[in-house]
Amino acid sequence: MAYEPQYYPGATSVAENRRKHMSGKVEKLRDISDEDLTLILGHRAPGSDYPSTHPPLAEMGEPEDSVRELVEPTPGAKAGDRVRYVQFVDSMYNAPSTPYFRSYAAAINFRGVDPGTLSGRQVVEARERDMEELAKFQIETEMTCPALAGLRGATVHGHSLRLPEDGVMFDMLERVRKEGDNIIMHKDQVGRPIDKKVNLGKPMSEEEAAKRTTIYRVDNVAFRDDDEVIEWVQRVFDQRTIYGFKPEN
Amino acid sequence: MVNSSDTNCVQLEIFPSRLLKPETAQKLLNAIADINGVTRLFIHGPRLPDTVPYGPAKGEPVHHPGKTVIEVAGQAMELAVYVGGIRMEVIDVDVKEQVREVCENILPVSFEFREGQFIPTKQTVTDYAKRGPGADPLMLGMTDPKGKLKHNPVCILKPDFLDE
Repeated sequence: MAYEPQYYPGATSVAENRRKHMSGKVEKLRDISDEDLTLILGHRAPGSDYPSTHPPLAEMGEPEDSVRELVEPTPGAKAGDRVRYVQFVDSMYNAPSTPYFRSYAAAINFRGVDPGTLSGRQVVEARERDMEELAKFQIETEMTCPALAGLRGATVHGHSLRLPEDGVMFDMLERVRKEGDNIIMHKDQVGRPIDKKVNLGKPMSEEEAAKRTTIYRVDNVAFRDDDEVIEWVQRVFDQRTIYGFKPEN
Repeated sequence: MVNSSDTNCVQLEIFPSRLLKPETAQKLLNAIADINGVTRLFIHGPRLPDTVPYGPAKGEPVHHPGKTVIEVAGQAMELAVYVGGIRMEVIDVDVKEQVREVCENILPVSFEFREGQFIPTKQTVTDYAKRGPGADPLMLGMTDPKGKLKHNPVCILKPDFLDE
């Protein structure tokens, strides 16, 4: 029987969502066009070619190498794209994802990515078109709620603050705003105004966010409610401690 | 003149569960300003910059809708922060209850309302360097610690009240 990765223990909705994010089997909730994505990432003008940092690999005459033969380069590497980043921030108030699970999702389901996990933000560096593929996946699926998570290249402050009255995570650069029922992004991820307003879709309701979140919270699903998770977290902690302890050194 | 050395004075903090829109904040502050017996008050929250402070867009204007001019008791003032909490000193417990009632009527979200020590009682070395030895103790802790005093950071809403 083929092995199926289990990804994460636990029986609660949060554990189930964590498994979904890690396996990449997430529901697609919205559409964002390539042009809009390029605009909000702010790395190049929409419609322009990908600037390259080296000629396409096929033209470079690579040395003979068994590993190069074994590993198919990603489309971005093949074309010689620049390395560019996308950075997400997730609110602590029941945002669907968290930096750790975005990193798991990136590292498990995408090739040629370099996820960086920080307390409040998560950055992925990759060849430009590979990075765009990942960014599009994360923005379009249930991993992102446009109100509770956002693209923020700089000044990520806001993830740990209370939500403002309208429920859109505080952003001192005000890159997104609520217009009617929709969340509009009118600046790129570092805060430069962009030519058109990008509609990121409807925000999740409080109930939906609570259902889709990967965050254990006492006011939603508490970490202590999930016995299997506790058991495994403690086991990992125990064994790391035991195997890290080497008295003979 | 009333000050914090009077034993009946209590300090309060209003801590809403959501950051307040400028309109809600204005409504709440006006209602609080109508209560007699509020000696000092300041607004607390995340700062709103005029320009992008760092990153590739450094220097771009932000135009945050939270950074707006509100009018409290007839005086216009520009919000420098998104209102997250209000801390104040009132002359006695009766006033505290009036403030609580105002919050219950106006705030659209749940809030924490607590009594404690929120305003400094002693000046720091920085305060001393900024204000000198003859500084008014009432102004202590009332200004933005990172701000400049020349920008007149404190608003006196009812000057007559100080002379009582």
